[in-house]
Amino acid sequence: MNKRFALKLIAACAIAASATAGFAQEVIKIANIVELSGSGASAGTNFKNGVELAVKEINAAGGILGKKIQTTTNDTQSNPGVAKGLTQKAIDNDVFAIFGPVFSGSIMVSMAESRRAEVPNFTGGEAAGITEQGNPYVFRTSFTQASAMPKVARYISEQAKLKTLAIIYVNNDFGKGGLDALKKALANSPTKVVAEISTDNGQVDFSAAVLKAKQSNADGVFAYSNEEESARILRELRKQGWTKPIIGETTLTGQKVIELAGDAANGAIAHVGLTVDAPQPAIRAFRAKFEKEYKYVSDHNGMKGYSGIYILKAAIEKTGKLDRKAVAATLHTLKVKAADQPGVLMDVSFDAKGDLDRESFMIEVKNGKQEVVSILPPLGAGATPAAAAAAKK
Amino acid sequence: MNAIFNNKFATLFTVLGALLVLVAPQYLKNYGIYLLTYWLIFIIATMGLNLTIGYAGQKSLGHAAFFGIGAYTVAIMMKAGISFWLGLPAAALLCFAIGLILGFPALRVQTIYLAFATLGFNTAVWLVMRNEEWLTGGTFGINNIARPVIFGYSLEANRPYYYFVLAVTLVLAGLLWGLLRSPWGKAFKALRDNPIRAESLGVDIRNYTLLSFAIGAVYAGVAGALFASLVQFIEPAPFAVGASIMMYLMVVVGGAGYFLGPVIGAAVGVVLPEWLRDVPGVANWYLPLFGAAVVLLMIWLPDGLLSIPDRIKAKRAARAASAARTAAASRIGASS
Repeated sequence: MNKRFALKLIAACAIAASATAGFAQEVIKIANIVELSGSGASAGTNFKNGVELAVKEINAAGGILGKKIQTTTNDTQSNPGVAKGLTQKAIDNDVFAIFGPVFSGSIMVSMAESRRAEVPNFTGGEAAGITEQGNPYVFRTSFTQASAMPKVARYISEQAKLKTLAIIYVNNDFGKGGLDALKKALANSPTKVVAEISTDNGQVDFSAAVLKAKQSNADGVFAYSNEEESARILRELRKQGWTKPIIGETTLTGQKVIELAGDAANGAIAHVGLTVDAPQPAIRAFRAKFEKEYKYVSDHNGMKGYSGIYILKAAIEKTGKLDRKAVAATLHTLKVKAADQPGVLMDVSFDAKGDLDRESFMIEVKNGKQEVVSILPPLGAGATPAAAAAAKK
Repeated sequence: MNAIFNNKFATLFTVLGALLVLVAPQYLKNYGIYLLTYWLIFIIATMGLNLTIGYAGQKSLGHAAFFGIGAYTVAIMMKAGISFWLGLPAAALLCFAIGLILGFPALRVQTIYLAFATLGFNTAVWLVMRNEEWLTGGTFGINNIARPVIFGYSLEANRPYYYFVLAVTLVLAGLLWGLLRSPWGKAFKALRDNPIRAESLGVDIRNYTLLSFAIGAVYAGVAGALFASLVQFIEPAPFAVGASIMMYLMVVVGGAGYFLGPVIGAAVGVVLPEWLRDVPGVANWYLPLFGAAVVLLMIWLPDGLLSIPDRIKAKRAARAASAARTAAASRIGASS
């Protein structure tokens, strides 16, 4: 009796064990490691919501290769040290891919862990350094500074047709990196940089900087700083009666800058990688779905998370099996068309470093709102060698 | 009888603790080991703070600054190509010197005013870390800090590094144990309990106050150095005033002035929130719950968790005394 009971128990355990093993192969585990509190809370929350929306859709449509996706979410508290620990935790749980962190500072730290474990890691970070270290497992869902600047340069010399340009930049890694990349990109163009005006992190008074820009007699000004400083630069430009073009990259026309600068932001033009106001049908559909699900309008980070999942889906389907290494290899040459896979939102291609290339937008602030004024073509075969060299750490 | 029970209990506790720290890492995955290492590092840091607060009675809210100074010293030196084994003593010495300097305001002001002075010091240090980019990398921090190599054996992997941190923790705990049993330790306690009486008995208050800060700072500095190599990345945020308050809280929760207080306190401050993260239903509330638990603890147990055995003992003694009194009273009543 006892023996029989023991046998039954063993059999039951064996069945249960095999069932769980079978179950483990039936789902694709994805870990969200994102900023849900601290300074990155809005970026991280948007990114996570985008990821979860995409996962919900894919699961409803039958999953990837017939397998459902299962997500777990952890809060990095916008702290790189915590992000690193959580990345290890996700790897211990045998996830197939990791999404996040969004902040460049955090992914720079946590990607060492996903690289060691050979787990594909998608990030929303834009610092050039992320993909400059030869990590074969890190993939961007947004532009790197190094490929954004050539696009801005092309716009300045070919569409805005500025002969001379004054640059107001913030004197730190971010600002200097952007300045170098832009100068490199403008080197062989008709546009001449006539003034490079350095400003400080957290600077309050920009009257001297704007005065210098005016005295340089440039056809336009390029402003490259953090959100609050960008708003102060815009206000000062208006105060001193600047009427020529004001051009920037992503930050300059961000919602926060528009709020802070008020009317002074009107007329500012900037290059952005992603915007929910873009005219593409896939993006319009995404905007409506996101708003229906979460009751607010997504920012560009929501788009990064959403498209990231679909990019992973395309890569797995192209590889044809759930093999992390093979999927990472596929990603390095992946080209996805929005017509075949609407979830990627725009036609996108990846290069060997994990950087992506796609169309992007020039935005102009009109009446306190962002409006798409033109769509810029992809750079083609990734970043130019010159731009890559300029984006040194 | 009581003594035997206590010894048995202490032995059991020690054996269990030893099992946990020596054997558990063999069965843990990366994240578990990382968390345990994190815990040990905070034990070292709060041991120093426990000396300053719990034994010498100096209310310091600037401990995270020393933690940061240690971390940045090692990181900057290693980035300049200098070995970790030179960086570690350099971090300790620098913290000792700065700790001495910070001790001077403590000679003039006490209690809440001292807390404010040290808090100001912490903010100043944090601003230097954030703004002096040429030295500290500013908000970008310092990335890819290597882990040390010991006798040609690399501590790059998580498990070897954990055992290295464990060894450092045990050595530093032993040193502190020795210090507290020496005349110095007695002097620190005298300073805490009654500075005027201590001075009248010939304890040099000035020197001991400065030393309590400096030695506490050395512990934080060593912990910071180990922290830099553990996370392999540092930025100003973990060394801000909030972190100082968290460390103070660890000391108080564990039990200020108890030798094992930091072990419990660091577990509550570092490991518990991580555990609560994975408890379903609690996950979204873990920080508020943690805060509420601390508030309740402070109401019921102002002397920290380790005061529980003492309280039980005191209750027992009171009960025994009252029983004795009743017995005595009844005897007197009977004889009358």
